[in-house]
Amino acid sequence: MRDIIKITDLNKSFDGVKAVQSLSFRVKEGELFAFLGVNGAGKSTTINILCGQLSCDSGTVIIDGENLQESISQIKTKLGVVFQSSLLDKALTVKDNLESRAALYGITGESFKQRLSQLSKMLDFEDLLKRNVGKLSGGQRRRIDIARALIHNPKILILDEPTTGLDPQTRRLLWNVISNLRKKENMTVFLTTHYMEEAADADYVVILDSGRLIAEGTPLQLKNTYTGDFITLYGTDEATVKTLGVPYEAIREAYKLSVADTSAATELIIKHPEIFRDYEITKGKMDDVFLAVTGKKLTGGTEK
Amino acid sequence: MKTLKALIKRNTKLFFKDKGMFFTSLITPVILLVLYATFLGNVYKQSFLSALPQGLDMSEKLINGYVGGQLISSILAVSCVTVAFCSNMLMVQDKAVGSIKDLTISPVKPSHLALSYYFSTLISTLCVCLSATGICLIYIARIGWYLSVGDILLLLLDVFLLVLFGTALSSIINFFLSTQGQISAVGTVISSGYGFISGAYMPISQFSVGLQRVISFLPGTYGTSLLKNHAMRGVFEEMEKTGLSTEVIEAIKNSIDYNLYFFESRVKISTMYIILGLAIAVFISIYILLNCLKSKKQI
Repeated sequence: MRDIIKITDLNKSFDGVKAVQSLSFRVKEGELFAFLGVNGAGKSTTINILCGQLSCDSGTVIIDGENLQESISQIKTKLGVVFQSSLLDKALTVKDNLESRAALYGITGESFKQRLSQLSKMLDFEDLLKRNVGKLSGGQRRRIDIARALIHNPKILILDEPTTGLDPQTRRLLWNVISNLRKKENMTVFLTTHYMEEAADADYVVILDSGRLIAEGTPLQLKNTYTGDFITLYGTDEATVKTLGVPYEAIREAYKLSVADTSAATELIIKHPEIFRDYEITKGKMDDVFLAVTGKKLTGGTEK
Repeated sequence: MKTLKALIKRNTKLFFKDKGMFFTSLITPVILLVLYATFLGNVYKQSFLSALPQGLDMSEKLINGYVGGQLISSILAVSCVTVAFCSNMLMVQDKAVGSIKDLTISPVKPSHLALSYYFSTLISTLCVCLSATGICLIYIARIGWYLSVGDILLLLLDVFLLVLFGTALSSIINFFLSTQGQISAVGTVISSGYGFISGAYMPISQFSVGLQRVISFLPGTYGTSLLKNHAMRGVFEEMEKTGLSTEVIEAIKNSIDYNLYFFESRVKISTMYIILGLAIAVFISIYILLNCLKSKKQI
């Protein structure tokens, strides 16, 4: 897979405050790329630079083989962006909104009608076309935001916390659509999210803190590097668990033991077969990775 | 071109769908007409009557036509600019609510975006100001009509040019604003101040010489004078017929800025049109340039 986004040594400051510092990473074509960090970590600044909304102080951004500073207009045709909050015109209907946005990419007349028909079927909003955006529910509006981002068939879809505040059904629908697009059209998805289960499904994850890249890798690599494994042990008592000599936490009708990795878990089980009769081994979660890497918890946009 | 058309359509729809924005714009000239007719009409009338030579008999209709001409030219001069500021709020609203970001992530040219705001403001301001012109003409027809078809057409041309001017001026000023509070403040300043500096609320001939000279450099002044020339030409023609001397008529014309002077020389009507036209062209160019520079700065 080739690099569709290549960021090298990117820097950006606001009034002396370094928002992004020596940031370098690559995004492969067709992958789901998760960009994580607490508020103020530099995610939005980086996205704004990628979209041509902000200039960088130094560094290079190459998107689909073109330098952002030299070919901004061409690059903009390849990007679709779903912002944190809807930026559509609330006083206008869904159709009017999409029509005006499509025209920005030169899509008018019959081509617009065809694209609108495709998107309204794909995102299930055929019955909402004549309704004002301001009168839609959060989930309905999010579907329209995604349709707006996809109106010009972009190669890269940037999703800036797309599912925050959505009901599980709408979240599922959105992820199904995105997953289909990736499969059918090899679309690259650049995602920022506060939901770690969404980041866990990514092909590659980059974690930012204070404008710097502090960890990157596949979710598995990150879990193996930054968290241990957990053994959930059933059908025993606390005194027996204590004899194992490993950190543990009492949970309902079980104990959760922390071990360094899967081989340490295997070793412990082989050593005490009489204790390990009913158990399960799980890897650390992305929340644990995030906590281990940043020292902060990522919960709905607030750090703890 | 299709992009520009779509953006103009979007902006115009948003203006007419936003009832607050539309009605505020529409009500401005109506309020001005009511205020002028109620409070200033009598002042204009008394001041005119006191300046007339004793023993001269002038019909009530002619006096009312004179006062009415002054009123409507002042109202239209102020409305064309203040309504443009109201209509052009969308440009600031887009920045305040972030919609501008959704537009600029596309490859739309900054000049297209700038022109779309300009043209949509022009359309909505024209709708409001032409309606106001219609109301003003009805008012004149009721109190004292001395207008020819030519006067009406020139009056419409003046309104059109002043709307172009007001839209360009508001576009430049609104370019620097980004919050609702700022535009409210600017709107208040413009609606209260523009009438004075353009000679609409008070003839500039009544100001000190120094101030008159400063104001003569402002293009809006010539727009107001153009409106006065076309709204009152018929009235002065009728006055001549009633036997009022040319000297007195010229003195009245000088006192109400019908005749406008740049330092000591009288400005011709054609020169007023050239000044207004040039001001419009320069303001539009500055506005587009500002947008292009801003866009270059972002990259």
